[in-house]
Amino acid sequence: MKKFSRELAVAGTLIALLLFMAVAAPSFFHPRPLLSLLTREAPVLVLACGVALVILTRQIDISIGSQFAVCSVCAGLMMAAKIPLALVVPATALLGICLGTINGLLVAGLGLPSIVVTLATMVTWREGLRWLRQGQFVTLPENTQWFGLGQESGQVLLVVASLLILAGLAWGCRNLHAGRRLYAVGSDAEAARLAGIEPRTVTFFCFAFMGMLCGMAAIMNVVQSPQVDPKSGTGLELRAIAAVVVGGVSISGGRGTLWGVLAGVLLLACISPALTHLHVAAYWDKAIQGAVILLAVMADGLQNRRRPAGGKEH
Amino acid sequence: MNSALKGRLIALRPAIFRHEFILLLVVAVEWFYFNSVGSRFGSIDNTFDILRHSVEIGLIALVMTPVILTGGIDLSVGSLLGLCAVFFGKFWRDFGFPIELAGLGALAVGAAGGGLNAWLIGSMRLPPLIVTLGTFSLFRGLAEAMTHGVDTFTNFPARFLHLGQERFLGLPAQAPVFLFTALFTWVLLHKTTWGRSCRAVGFSREGSLYAGLPVARRLAGVYVLTGVVVGLAAVIYTSRLGQAKADAGTGYELFAITAVVLGGTSIFGGTGTVHGTLLGVAALAILNNGLVHARQPREVAGMLTGLLLILALSASALPRLAGRMLDRLKAAKKQNQRNL
Repeated sequence: MKKFSRELAVAGTLIALLLFMAVAAPSFFHPRPLLSLLTREAPVLVLACGVALVILTRQIDISIGSQFAVCSVCAGLMMAAKIPLALVVPATALLGICLGTINGLLVAGLGLPSIVVTLATMVTWREGLRWLRQGQFVTLPENTQWFGLGQESGQVLLVVASLLILAGLAWGCRNLHAGRRLYAVGSDAEAARLAGIEPRTVTFFCFAFMGMLCGMAAIMNVVQSPQVDPKSGTGLELRAIAAVVVGGVSISGGRGTLWGVLAGVLLLACISPALTHLHVAAYWDKAIQGAVILLAVMADGLQNRRRPAGGKEH
Repeated sequence: MNSALKGRLIALRPAIFRHEFILLLVVAVEWFYFNSVGSRFGSIDNTFDILRHSVEIGLIALVMTPVILTGGIDLSVGSLLGLCAVFFGKFWRDFGFPIELAGLGALAVGAAGGGLNAWLIGSMRLPPLIVTLGTFSLFRGLAEAMTHGVDTFTNFPARFLHLGQERFLGLPAQAPVFLFTALFTWVLLHKTTWGRSCRAVGFSREGSLYAGLPVARRLAGVYVLTGVVVGLAAVIYTSRLGQAKADAGTGYELFAITAVVLGGTSIFGGTGTVHGTLLGVAALAILNNGLVHARQPREVAGMLTGLLLILALSASALPRLAGRMLDRLKAAKKQNQRNL
């Protein structure tokens, strides 16, 4: 129990918020808007899972918003060219892998700091996309929205898919070699190397995998609307990182679980609609999100301080 | 190769391969290229235009240098600029402060915002990336909440707009402010114990602690300084555009960090120079302005900025990579000899 105290704290906060909403504004729990909310957050959840993996290995990726936009627009263009969906999905995932590979090569291959590399690729992809598309939307053909299913079944499908990805990754992190290696490299890269794990290989594949998740999240985003906005995904990287940190993944690597990330995504996602239902003006949303991030990181700091000496220096 | 020549080459190497020198070449190449392409790029008017437009980013990049030198980062500067601009407008229009007092108020708001970062990073020992990610949201959110997302402050007095739009002694009026701040930061970082201890903290926080340096106080000082200068940048921004809005300074944090890293400051802290940062700002500003004069779309400038950053980083990583490969070759040779 103590091991997961941080995750339980976030989940407790989330439950407290939901209980408060149940008393103060029961209309918050109407199934339809709630389902739409979860659907909107499905791509964010997938991205946050990827970011969590990257942060677990003690790296960071702030180019995911731009990768997401590139993948979204390319998926939209492929759909508009009447390529069957069964091909578009793997092609978009492959494109994501290619973009992630570039980050991986620069970070793991050349040993450059990940925050600067992904800052550079973030700007490059974003501006390149704006240059090629000139802000034009991609209009999708008739039957592609919600995969050609009805709106409700499409929404359920997206939510279930994102939860499946989360559950699979959470299981893999605990039980697969690859998952344990992420924790090993994130806790202490040198110790991991001495134990026979090549940290650079792990880092490389982590970035490539992040790219693939960007592609999948992009598909989940594209099918939600009849048009693809080339500006989609702006600021998404910071939202995903915020959710991951609120969910208890340590920025210094090697600590955290994906279930905590789920709680973090849901907590941040609920703030804005909760404000609307409580009749607080919506422009307080960003300030409150910032305050939640700061509170979460302060809770982490206090917890670390109470731990006996020898704790990791951030 | 005889040893005397080798020694001379080694002595010469730092001067030629030093980051700032390469960057100076890049700036020069950019200048001559755009001068040959664009018709009025090299004119005095345009040079002053570049200067005028890069003052705010330049100010932020200047103070971002000590932040990154200590091994930290500040993502909240763009949001803080927005918050300071909104407070400035509020002080002047709604509270009826005289414009000078409103300006001082904006600096105070900047100091307070920087102080929040300083407290969390210095005293609470929290990671700067996440703290400033939180304040990035918080400051922008407060600015939006104060203006309800739509309120814009305009109609500032003409003598205030002079600061951002007119000339003073032939130079753009905000240039002296920038030059003074640049000189101040340079002296602070290169000629005082304060700057030296910043480097020490970035090089090894633990080590500086054992050496008796006031690490928490030094970190706090760096972030408060950043806040104050961001407040100054907010005042200049407002006077240049003649309006203050909640979205002022969006994306400035990325520009400033790019300029600093391009200028050769290590993102891990410990090494870096103020003149490198100035060159980084110049390289970005000339690139942006020159491409407009060469009738290229704005987006190309953004893409090239990203590519330039990657190239600059790779260039600094290559010697290290080559050294590692040489070591490996030598080790393999030794192994072979032993096997024989």
